[in-house]
Amino acid sequence: MIKLAMRLLRQRPGTSIATLVALAGGVMILMSLAVFVQSGLQFKPEPKQFAAADVVVAHRHITVSTKEFDGETTTSEVPLPEGTVPAGLADQIRALPGVTDVQAVGVQGGRASAIAIKAPAGTHAAIDKLATEAGVESYAGDERGWAEWSTSIEARSLLVEAGSAFGGYVVLLIVFVVAGTVGLSVRHRRRDLALLRAVAATPSQVRRLVVAEAAVVGLASAVIGVPAGLWATHWTHDQMVARGFLPADFPIVNPALGAVVAIALTMGVAVLAARIAARRVARIRPAEALGEIAVEPPKGGRIRLAFGLLTLAGAGVSVFFAAGLSGTAALAAAIGMLYLFVMAIALLAPWVNGFAARVLAPVLRTVWGVSGDLAVANLRANAKGMSAVLSALVLSVGFGGSVWFLQDNLQRQTVAQSRDGMLADRVVTAPRGLTAASVAKVRQIPGVEAATGVRRTSVVVRIFDGAEPAVARAADPAQLASTMDLKVREGSLAGLTDGTIAVSALQASSSSWKVGDTADMWLADGTPVKPRVVAIYDRGLGFGDVLLPQSGGTYDELLVRTRGNADQPLAAFGTVTTAGQLTGQLSRDLAVSAWLNKLLITVMVGYAALAAGNTMVMAALARSRELALLRLAGVTRRQVRRMVNAEQVGLLGTALTVGAAIAAATLIAVVHALTGTFLPYIPPLGWVIVLGGTTALALVTTILPVSRLLRTPPVRAAGTKE
Amino acid sequence: MNDMLAVRVEGLTRTYTTDGQPVTALAGVDAAFARGTFTAVMGPSGSGKSTLLQTAAGLDRPSSGRVWVGDTELSKLSETKLTELRRDRIGFVFQSFNLIGALTVEENILLPSKLSGEKPDWHWLGSVIERVGLTNRLTHRPAQLSGGQQQRVAIARALAVRPDVVFADEPTGALDTETAAEVLALLRSMVDEFGQTVVMVTHDPVAASYADRVLVLADGRIVRDLPQVGAEKIAEVLATRWKA
Ligand SMILES: Nc1ncnc2c1ncn2[C@@H]1O[C@H](COP(=O)(O)OP(=O)(O)OP(=O)(O)O)[C@@H](O)[C@H]1O
Ligand SMILES: [Mg+2]
Repeated sequence: MIKLAMRLLRQRPGTSIATLVALAGGVMILMSLAVFVQSGLQFKPEPKQFAAADVVVAHRHITVSTKEFDGETTTSEVPLPEGTVPAGLADQIRALPGVTDVQAVGVQGGRASAIAIKAPAGTHAAIDKLATEAGVESYAGDERGWAEWSTSIEARSLLVEAGSAFGGYVVLLIVFVVAGTVGLSVRHRRRDLALLRAVAATPSQVRRLVVAEAAVVGLASAVIGVPAGLWATHWTHDQMVARGFLPADFPIVNPALGAVVAIALTMGVAVLAARIAARRVARIRPAEALGEIAVEPPKGGRIRLAFGLLTLAGAGVSVFFAAGLSGTAALAAAIGMLYLFVMAIALLAPWVNGFAARVLAPVLRTVWGVSGDLAVANLRANAKGMSAVLSALVLSVGFGGSVWFLQDNLQRQTVAQSRDGMLADRVVTAPRGLTAASVAKVRQIPGVEAATGVRRTSVVVRIFDGAEPAVARAADPAQLASTMDLKVREGSLAGLTDGTIAVSALQASSSSWKVGDTADMWLADGTPVKPRVVAIYDRGLGFGDVLLPQSGGTYDELLVRTRGNADQPLAAFGTVTTAGQLTGQLSRDLAVSAWLNKLLITVMVGYAALAAGNTMVMAALARSRELALLRLAGVTRRQVRRMVNAEQVGLLGTALTVGAAIAAATLIAVVHALTGTFLPYIPPLGWVIVLGGTTALALVTTILPVSRLLRTPPVRAAGTKE
Repeated sequence: MNDMLAVRVEGLTRTYTTDGQPVTALAGVDAAFARGTFTAVMGPSGSGKSTLLQTAAGLDRPSSGRVWVGDTELSKLSETKLTELRRDRIGFVFQSFNLIGALTVEENILLPSKLSGEKPDWHWLGSVIERVGLTNRLTHRPAQLSGGQQQRVAIARALAVRPDVVFADEPTGALDTETAAEVLALLRSMVDEFGQTVVMVTHDPVAASYADRVLVLADGRIVRDLPQVGAEKIAEVLATRWKA
């Protein structure tokens, strides 16, 4: 059976290579993803600072429990980069019998950043109990590393978060593509398989044959995919290290398990898809082999139509859902919505293609004449066969067009907000921060009109289904209105005093807070607070989602509004930069942090485009007989070529229109949610890439193979081979 | 059952449904094909010839009626059993696209025995291959053969398992007169020399004149059952308009 499978595969190298490429690409992407996620999950930080301690008490995450609608409670952990523990806990622990040494580290105003303890194993349970009662955690043995905040722990969160936000979609995409490609490769061999059935093969033999083929291609794809996956993992690792996402010494796990998982998943999907396709093929009446044309199964049934319309409705509803989320969650929701749209289109593709053929008929006829006529007939007849092409193209255009441009919009808006909202013209920073006393002195400098100390921090806020960290600024409210304009839309910053906060419109809607409401949140050190919301402002991307009042303590930077002649005296307090330089730095930082998202999107769009191309090549190569018959019937080579061009314009035009509509819907919904504008920004180069890319795809995947087919004399092509 | 009969059909009907409209391809056909005979099935286009062949050969199931191959009744067989029966006891030759392009001539001929997992009868195969004149073409691919040669490979494959009956649907439809004559002579000699049973659909009175018997179909019914006659007589019979 395997031998026969190999022989049949060799007969159609185009189809086999297309399947091979899709599978190998899947193995490569899945493998790298699996390696990074596994590295994140298995990461155990080495205790360094606390290597000598037996137990460390620290506060590194908040556990939030939420009641679900169904009454069940779910808990989620939110990391706390600046968490502290009560310093008094050290004395309580010291009082425990058996504890030999207790040291509170980084004590400041009754709080310590951690408590290091030397104690025998028997006392650990008692220490843990005390820590839990105080709302903090204890870390013993291997776990001690978690008590030290390090870039590696941050990198770990990034790997796990990015993995969980995108991993599912990547897997879904690969399943979609692999299943589609394998299914199509089986369908293209209907005639061979029908002949086999007629001559001598039982349905189960045909099934085994098809599955054996998928397995052979799957194994071959592993041979290519695993080295490619190794390379991709190395490349991504180097890039992430170079861009500061990952410390160079972050341990990356042995890729063996990742490779096994990737191969198992890809092979599993391929074989399953082959089985499903084979079941359908095995059921064809062997008499079909006698027919002149391998009959395409009839257009999808009513169930498919119903499911398609239902999915479309779901996608429509999800627009509103995605619009209600923020940040990464919104981005992930936008991709989810995109998938719903693409799935709806995939289900409705036969009808979309048929409808498009009817709408485009007059245009194609006018422009291409007889060839256009033939093209319309083909588009209509192949409405179902071209479904896979339509869905893959819509996926790549929809994806590239929305998620990629969404990144651009976010960056642009963030920079614009921080530029427009910055009323100060100088920024002073000092390596050890600036005290409230320095701020008071700066305000005395002649030429300084206003100065505001700002500390960059984060808070953990409750959102509807748990809690998430939010970017926050703690600022001296005294002269705030003169140094930054947050574009307050409700309430007033004048009321910003202790026990109150101002929040961005986005945060307010995510947490459903209104002016006058009490916000439920935690400060960066883990202290739970319940401040009152006094103002809601628009410029959250540029200035953080939460603004806390802070008069006293130290600030990270000082925003100074001058008459332009105070640089020299200001230099005494720290490094002076202009606000313009600050914005420039911000946009560079954003470009770096957007890189990872863009990489993920590029991989997904690239893979979707590859799938579209693959399908088109397969479809084009399967047409040799049909084109030969056309030529024997008197259609000239030039007319055939024009016909193919017209078909491409019809098909790609439809895909571009539908894809662009989906991208626009996604983009507008999310950009509106994040920035308040209805008009998304699309860089001119973006248009060029989307349109140029699609045209190039059509050229490479259809027009060139068809030209090659046209070079063989039609009589030969009309012969034995289909 | 009668040992002398290779195939028998009784009350055979077949209705297709296209766009909700029923189309009757066979409207009740009774026929029997004796062993060692060569029957030609003729009739106007759309009269149900291919459908008759396909249902009699177990490639398609009738809407009603029964089919016996030897003494096996087909309607009770599962798809797998039916396939096994086709592979062991029935041979086919279609008008074109008979061969799998990926396989050589020899592999195509051996395909049924390979799929059944049974040892081929080399002695028999040798004589068939010699008779169809393909001895020095065994390693070629179908694409490297002429149309007539391809049909001869198909005949060799059909005969490879020493079937009870060979069904051929317009086996010479795509061939020129000379090549067609070659293929027809081959079929004739299979009947005469090896005692094979052949049922062949054809539009060509000359082709039909190679047969021992001519069945004429019109609108899904047998309207004439002629003994061996000359090509002119057959052409004459066909020229009459048949009323259903
Ligand atoms: N798969 C099918 N679906 C629907 N109708 C069919 C199908 N196959 C055959 N028919 C119809 O059944 C009738 C008999 O067809 P059949 O192919 O048996 O005719 P035929 O005598 O072999 O014709 P020809 O000489 O043209 O080959 C025709 O009306 C045909 O349209
Ligand atoms: Mg016919």
